[in-house]
Amino acid sequence: MKNKLKALRAERNWSQAVLGEKLGVSRQTVNAIEARRYDPSLPLAFRIARLFACAIEDIFEDDAPGKPSA
Amino acid sequence: MTTEQATWRYFYVFIPSMIVYTAGVFGITWAVDHLALPAFALCGLAAIPIFAILCALWAHWRFITEIDEFLRAIQINAVLFGVAGVLVVATGWGTLEMLADAPSLQVFWLLPIFWAAYAAAAVVITKREGGVF
Repeated sequence: MKNKLKALRAERNWSQAVLGEKLGVSRQTVNAIEARRYDPSLPLAFRIARLFACAIEDIFEDDAPGKPSA
Repeated sequence: MTTEQATWRYFYVFIPSMIVYTAGVFGITWAVDHLALPAFALCGLAAIPIFAILCALWAHWRFITEIDEFLRAIQINAVLFGVAGVLVVATGWGTLEMLADAPSLQVFWLLPIFWAAYAAAAVVITKREGGVF
């Protein structure tokens, strides 16, 4: 799933380890989400959205084929 | 809880459990060779490594529940590889024993096969996912 996590993290000058600490996950998990190797669970996606004070869909973009058009 | 804390908690139980398991296995082997113990005593001794295995598996379960969701997915995949390794060896070797008179493989070896397959899979999957060992 496409996401803006890396850009949001860079805006705040946070390392992956720092972001992981704030989210309560490991650096590897942050790295995997940024690299689109792992899609976070809904609770973790909400935690990420809360941390960056925006909506989940502002951070994550559904790139699955066949999604309904807006 | 951080991954490091969960890992330490895991090793605090896992390593002593494996020491007790190994000592128990060698102890029973020695007792069978050198002492004329009655069957119930041997069964009692056999309970020591079984208890140690249960402790190790419980520590592993606790570790998997304490780490974050991505690392948990890696661990669960690795455990599935471990189970697959046991099933492949047991079924494959069992077939060879039935049809080709292969030497008998003691079921005792299924646990070490599980740990070996699990460990190999955990290393490979973790490295593939950008982790560090």
